[in-house]
Amino acid sequence: ETTITVANWLPPSHPLVSDVIVPMTEQIKEATGGEVVANILPAPLGPPGAHFDFAVNGVADITFGVQGYNPGRFKTTNIAEIPFIGDSAEVTSVAYWRVWDSMLKQAGEYDGVKVLAVFTHGPGEIFLKDGDATAPDLLDGKKLRVGGGIVHEVASTLGAVPVEGPSSKAYELLSQGVADGILFPYESVNFFKLIPQLDVGVSVPGGLYNTSFYIVMNKAKFDSLTPEQQAAIDSVTGEALSRMAGQMWDDVDAKGLAAMEGEITVTPATEAQMASWQSALQPVIDAKIAQVSETGVDGPAAYQMLRDEIAKLESGE
Amino acid sequence: MEHWPVGMAILGVLLLLGVPISFSLAGVGLVGVASIIGWTPALSLLGSAFFDNGRDYSLSVLPLFLMMGNFVVQSGVANELYNSAYAWLRHRKGGLATATVIACGAFSSVCGSSMATAATMTRIALPSMRRFGYPDQLSTASIAAGGTLGILIPPSVILVFYGIMTQQDIGKLFLAGIIPGVIGIIGYAIAVRITLKLGKIDLPVEEKLPLIDRFRALKGTAGALALFTFVMGGIYLGVFTPTESAGMGAGGALLLVILQRKFSLNSMLIVLYDTMKTTAMMFFILFGALTFTNYVNMSGMTRDIQAFLALFGDSRLSFILVILVIYLVLGCVLESLSMIMLTVPVFYPIAAAQGIDLIWFGIFVVMVTEISYITPPVGMNAFVLRSVVPDVRLGTIFKGLGPFVVMDVLRVGLLTLVPSLVLLLT
Amino acid sequence: MRQPVLMDEKQQEAARKELPPGKLLGPAGVALAALGGVMLTAMMGLTVCDVIGRYLFNSPIKGAAELTEVLLCATIFLGLGAVSLKEDHVTVDLVTDKMPSFIQPYRLALAGLFSGGVLLVVSWRLWIYAAQIGGYGGSTTNLAIPIAPLGYFCAICAALGGLITAFLPLKRLVARHTV
Ligand code: NA
Ligand code: NA
Repeated sequence: ETTITVANWLPPSHPLVSDVIVPMTEQIKEATGGEVVANILPAPLGPPGAHFDFAVNGVADITFGVQGYNPGRFKTTNIAEIPFIGDSAEVTSVAYWRVWDSMLKQAGEYDGVKVLAVFTHGPGEIFLKDGDATAPDLLDGKKLRVGGGIVHEVASTLGAVPVEGPSSKAYELLSQGVADGILFPYESVNFFKLIPQLDVGVSVPGGLYNTSFYIVMNKAKFDSLTPEQQAAIDSVTGEALSRMAGQMWDDVDAKGLAAMEGEITVTPATEAQMASWQSALQPVIDAKIAQVSETGVDGPAAYQMLRDEIAKLESGE
Repeated sequence: MEHWPVGMAILGVLLLLGVPISFSLAGVGLVGVASIIGWTPALSLLGSAFFDNGRDYSLSVLPLFLMMGNFVVQSGVANELYNSAYAWLRHRKGGLATATVIACGAFSSVCGSSMATAATMTRIALPSMRRFGYPDQLSTASIAAGGTLGILIPPSVILVFYGIMTQQDIGKLFLAGIIPGVIGIIGYAIAVRITLKLGKIDLPVEEKLPLIDRFRALKGTAGALALFTFVMGGIYLGVFTPTESAGMGAGGALLLVILQRKFSLNSMLIVLYDTMKTTAMMFFILFGALTFTNYVNMSGMTRDIQAFLALFGDSRLSFILVILVIYLVLGCVLESLSMIMLTVPVFYPIAAAQGIDLIWFGIFVVMVTEISYITPPVGMNAFVLRSVVPDVRLGTIFKGLGPFVVMDVLRVGLLTLVPSLVLLLT
Repeated sequence: MRQPVLMDEKQQEAARKELPPGKLLGPAGVALAALGGVMLTAMMGLTVCDVIGRYLFNSPIKGAAELTEVLLCATIFLGLGAVSLKEDHVTVDLVTDKMPSFIQPYRLALAGLFSGGVLLVVSWRLWIYAAQIGGYGGSTTNLAIPIAPLGYFCAICAALGGLITAFLPLKRLVARHTV
């Protein structure tokens, strides 16, 4: 019997842990006939951003996290994070995995690890304390809490004032009125208990932004397993694990949206809003895809493949 | 796998031999982790612990609150706080001691460290209490006890550490500290009366000041009051976040120094040098503690302690009582910051599993830490007094602290039975 | 036991009387104080300007948080120099105070060697970690400031701190024997 340690920086009750990581370890155990078991550590080994290197360096055997926590490191994640790519995390995640597997991994960003999954959460929407949801200049001058990376640029491009801060500080920023609103998926608004702070929600077809996640394994640990064990792990990870993670985000997004019933009025963005945002954001999208090309991968082709895969999956193929 | 007791024993020996706390923790943590996952990964974890945790935005409040405290000391505001409390209480029996306690509480609202509060107030309050014939036992005890309020009444360095270790909102922790802090001031004032009664101490009282003079004396508190209002008001009104309040408070305190005409480049340099030095001291303890925590995390110690605590039944009250006893015992011998660093990572997951509110638990932890400052043999605040006035015997100070410790324990009991007193303002 | 008291007596006195800091801190101390003082003041100024800019003019400082993080990390490791020079590492002196005085120089030398050793290992690992971060172009989120140079700076500070921490008590011990 081989034990693999799993580093966790989230509370055990977080759905990413309880509905993805824990089931993943169970599936690995089952697929290997009980030969490979996991030990999920009770407390974090370090800040979330340190977790990719924990897997590279063998501090833990399996780690998960957000690529964006290591700014500058992953440029191919842009493909999955730019605006308007998809409404379902499951569809986006599966498509993202396929693109990663056939094109993006050649960029070499993940060469230090064995990748078990790459996936995205649900689409990022707009939430405000107040305001006219249909106003064409909805975001103009609004102070929006944002994390780093793409969402910062999206917010400032649309005329908002980005207020920086980690997601754990979102409540503090909103409840004290430092921020007027936030760009978040439904799930996060609910998870960080922001619903009482917000009144207006605007859902953006395809999402205003997205966030890319990874689950990776230490290479040496994977190589130390028997070929049968490796094949067993491959059979329950990759596209299957990415799909499971995407499904989880869809489920909790649905719960988040349901929890907003009667507290936040969520309406879709108007056609005029979409037209103006799409044209305003096109230069941002182009620049992000150009960054992907810097890694040696054909950025526009990868982007096209992602769109094609998403279209295929949405039409039920 | 179960070799954490050995690790703990080695850590204890190193600490007692006078090896600096940060390097004892880091050394034992490194070797412990290496014994579980091997040297190469353990060494890279060490690099991460010392580099990634120093780049945490929320931790920037530490140097900035230290800076604010140093500026406040430099501005001479503490003196004025004491004088105004004295103007209101000088005609009462033991009025100087009560004024000391209140001035300590007021000073705590602009200073985040207990020992800094005690050190500052010693210099200001002790000479006048001696002049009026107050016994050292009473005067030193009221300063040492009053000084502990520094980490309970916001801002508070210890609450910042707790908030970061447990992922709790530091702003809420600050607000939660206010009512227990006020109860603390009342408790210490009662302890002063008890000391006078028990010791049959007769103290001279001064003539009562006319009301107009007393109000005039309040003018001296304007600076501190303005700073406290600025910091807490800015948080309440949403102008800035609790994290940002440290930088804003430091800016406000600097303004206070300038307004009081105490600003000079030479003194600024010394104040900033000290802020930087203290920051480094505290962060290296933090890095060491985090390295050691990684060892605890991997070694299964949390699980074993949980099993031990389960022996006492699983009711919330019995858990609190056991933890209280553990902290009182540890608090006798451990220095406070290291005690928090060593125990909170172990206890807070258990408290959370018990359904205990982690904001309340933070205040509870800070209150028992306050007690550790004033209990023998290792009572940091008593040591601070001793270093400022070397002619007082440690025994005298600890003896005087008796009634104050009793009031502290009563306060912990009250807030355990009525937790809403803590959570009212959050 | 020594633990950070906000400011010790001598420093408060010096600050109150506005004595020239060189007398109290020595030339190395003054250099550290000047550099650290600028960084701390910058941290404070960033928050103040960010808040005022955001609240009054709707224009916060881009990257204020990450600049603060970089300054904080640099201040901590620069401060290590000050702590090491003053031999002010926090220790427990519950038992050591009761040990006979002839043991003390040896005890301090051993404690210094242990601490210096730990700091040198830390320095080595910081250097390697910085190289790893530099290898993938790790940078801050919004301003894209490279992080690796900060890591190298911390590694150098840790090495110097380690050498000073090991050297000072050893020098006293040797001086004692040569007298
Ligand atoms: Na305080
Ligand atoms: Na004690």
